[in-house]
Amino acid sequence: MSNNRVSRRQFLGYTLTGVGGFMAAGMLMPMVRFAVDPILQQHDAGDYVLTDQAAADITEEPVRVDFTFEQVDAWYTSEVTNSAWVYKEGDKLIALSPVCKHLGCTVNWGGDPEQPTQFFCPCHAGRYEKNGQNIPGTPPLGPLDEYDVQEQDGFVAIGQVKPNTLV
Amino acid sequence: MHFNSKDIDLYASQKDYVDTAVVPLIELDLTASGMKASAGASEYLQSLTVILEKQFKGRILLLPPISYVRATDRTELGDQLKKELSETGFKHIFYLTTDAKWRSVEDLDNVLWLPAIPTGDMDQSFKKSVMEDQLRQVLPLFTKEWTHHS
Repeated sequence: MSNNRVSRRQFLGYTLTGVGGFMAAGMLMPMVRFAVDPILQQHDAGDYVLTDQAAADITEEPVRVDFTFEQVDAWYTSEVTNSAWVYKEGDKLIALSPVCKHLGCTVNWGGDPEQPTQFFCPCHAGRYEKNGQNIPGTPPLGPLDEYDVQEQDGFVAIGQVKPNTLV
Repeated sequence: MHFNSKDIDLYASQKDYVDTAVVPLIELDLTASGMKASAGASEYLQSLTVILEKQFKGRILLLPPISYVRATDRTELGDQLKKELSETGFKHIFYLTTDAKWRSVEDLDNVLWLPAIPTGDMDQSFKKSVMEDQLRQVLPLFTKEWTHHS
């Protein structure tokens, strides 16, 4: 019985180590949480903006789909409306950015009556194929950008803009 | 393009392509009875010019609105603006206004007068469709000018 006796010195030692350990953990945990925070962020559905365009109504003919999101510019928050040209290739949804790669005007599908199956930029007569490929000889130097796009509950949802992957 | 330093840098390097200036003209009426209508007209004209700029970003430079009081001599202001703009490289200059008095100023070309629509009380989506209708009225005037004098 006397062999396992805990001396006063040992008892105080254990107690201090235990309490100190808790305090150290209390300080370190938030720091570790901060450090790994980007890994824990959710990234799936949140980045997509839901539009009111039903996905079933999309055909092979590109239609303009508007979507609105909040944009913060320093301390000024505003609602920004952007659009995309959305069409179906087989069963796959494709969304192209309407921003001309020349100087940033808005392009229209079939805007030039002589080229009804091309995107047309009214500013300097730039033209693009349906997949966004710029037509050589017109001012644009690259293909139209593409949006990530998916179907959510039957509606079209538009995501981030990315360089054209179809061309 | 907007009249800010970033767009002006781009404008300076692409002067051949950006050949059109758009000048909004806004009358300030600060009397108690006229203030609300004046503010509404200003709001309408600025929304319209912003969506116009979005459509034709690569070809027009949208100047900040020129505001003047009611007593301003429109002919004189018009002459001053015309003189200042004639020293730039712009081939086409459009003045957009909701102020009917500009209609009697003879020697200013391409003054587009639009009746102001009070959009302030409309909800977002209705306002958007109204503004797009308005834009559709204005767009052909630009493309017509460009094809006729290019």
